[in-house]
Amino acid sequence: MKKSTRILSAAAACTILGIALPQPASAAVSDDDFNALKNTVEQMSQQMQEFQKTHQQDQQQIQQLQQQLGETQNLATNAVEKADAVALAQANSPRSALHNFTMVGDAEVQYGQAKGQFGTFSLADFAPIFLFRANDNILFEAGFDVTLQNGSASGTTSTGVPYTHDSGYSTTVNLSFAQMDYLINDYMTSVSGLMLLPLGTYSERSAGWLNKIPDDPLAIDFLPGAGVGTQLRGGVPVGESGQSVSYAAYVVNGPSSTDGTANATTVDGNGNTVPNLDLGGNVGVQNSGNNANLNSEPSVGGRIGWFFPLKPHYDVELGVSGQSGHWSGNYLWSALVVDAAVHITPYFEAKGEYINTWQETTDMGSIQPGGWFVQTSYKLAGFDFDAPIVNDLELVERYDYANNAMGSTTDRFTTGAIYYITNTLLLEGDYEWFMNHGLNANGYPVSQFIVQLSYGF
Amino acid sequence: MKTATKRQTVLWSVLALTGVFAVSLGVTLAQAQPPETKAPQKKLTGAELYAINCNRCHPERYPTEFTASQWKTIMLEMRVRANLPAKQANEILKYLQEDAGGN
Repeated sequence: MKKSTRILSAAAACTILGIALPQPASAAVSDDDFNALKNTVEQMSQQMQEFQKTHQQDQQQIQQLQQQLGETQNLATNAVEKADAVALAQANSPRSALHNFTMVGDAEVQYGQAKGQFGTFSLADFAPIFLFRANDNILFEAGFDVTLQNGSASGTTSTGVPYTHDSGYSTTVNLSFAQMDYLINDYMTSVSGLMLLPLGTYSERSAGWLNKIPDDPLAIDFLPGAGVGTQLRGGVPVGESGQSVSYAAYVVNGPSSTDGTANATTVDGNGNTVPNLDLGGNVGVQNSGNNANLNSEPSVGGRIGWFFPLKPHYDVELGVSGQSGHWSGNYLWSALVVDAAVHITPYFEAKGEYINTWQETTDMGSIQPGGWFVQTSYKLAGFDFDAPIVNDLELVERYDYANNAMGSTTDRFTTGAIYYITNTLLLEGDYEWFMNHGLNANGYPVSQFIVQLSYGF
Repeated sequence: MKTATKRQTVLWSVLALTGVFAVSLGVTLAQAQPPETKAPQKKLTGAELYAINCNRCHPERYPTEFTASQWKTIMLEMRVRANLPAKQANEILKYLQEDAGGN
């Protein structure tokens, strides 16, 4: 285009110049000069025609390329739309192939010796948790506790001497929890089934390798660890610092009565007087075919918690939780739990719970079993000794108290240490001193020593 | 029985009041920094959220201990068990999956 313009311009200029310049009167144009000029003009004219032809071809090619580009863009847009549609369909499909099965859990072996008794390997426990992710919003989880149970035996020898000793063993398999979690949105999850109950935080964080002391605080026995029902729970972030408020609200069958009455105590198969409250048995169908639920209405409960981290490993967590409902007939059982935990540096932790329960009974009126515990721990790595074994040690102390409201109270002080063989293989050892007052209906020893090997997987 | 019912009422009143107090305190503290010291909060990384949330209940688990798919399942459970806010759980999941173990 530019070339042809220049040539045309040059030709025009030459023509104008030729006309404009005065003809020298004395210089006549020869035939040769005229023919040469004529040839030049003819060549330029021919070149112009060729340039015009080339220009038209270029225009056609440009149009074709533009058309092809448009088609390619359409294809790309359609491909993106199709990919988005497929992704959306997969996300919404109840049968999408995103499910995954995973097993986690823990295992423990325990050796114990109570004062005045022989030492013994007292526990072998395997506690797997099976997780099945159906899709991004649905999770099934079930936790089992497989433990060895000693087979106690008593009788009379052939010589007429009465005996009592351990005979053989059996294996018990306990379903700790089995629940379906449905994540409704970012802030709310529906949980249904046999659920760990958020009464305090201990019951949900008490797996063998999480608990820094091999046994539970005494007062935990006054609370149901799990319940059958349904629950809504979730966490709501506050700001961008990691702070959050958590909540849980649930409805469960609630506790029941061992002998079907609302008496405070009952007599077990061995003739011992024991509490009549049955915290875990109010579920299913009895041998008679009747519903095992003795309650006229279910129990309701919930927890609200506040987690405030200043920065990693510096945080405070506070919570208050409770449950209330009938345990036998129209007699109420209620619980209130206040929990707190503090972390200062990666090495120091303090936590505790205050537990109080109210139980209406026919024979003792309203009684209030309860108690509390405080537990602190410190990882010696905080001292930064130049000694690998010392750096892998954590010291643990606990003080707990329980009052069964039937004439027995117990204080206990526990001190011990954890050696982290790996991050999930722990060797725990502790010594416990019991101060029993009253009837000591639970039969606590004066003191005992426990060593436990725990593995979390 | 009446005394017990009264106690129930007191119990639930205390629960409700404590709940309201906890939420109010949380929100108040989150927004109570004086203007002159209130710097724009940077978004916490997945590693920081992991250190904040996970280590308060159990010893550290390394990303290489599970595959990316297993981490997805485990984090779904942890989100429910620990009441983790969804965005925080997702950031932690990304952090764990970045260096997850092989299949």
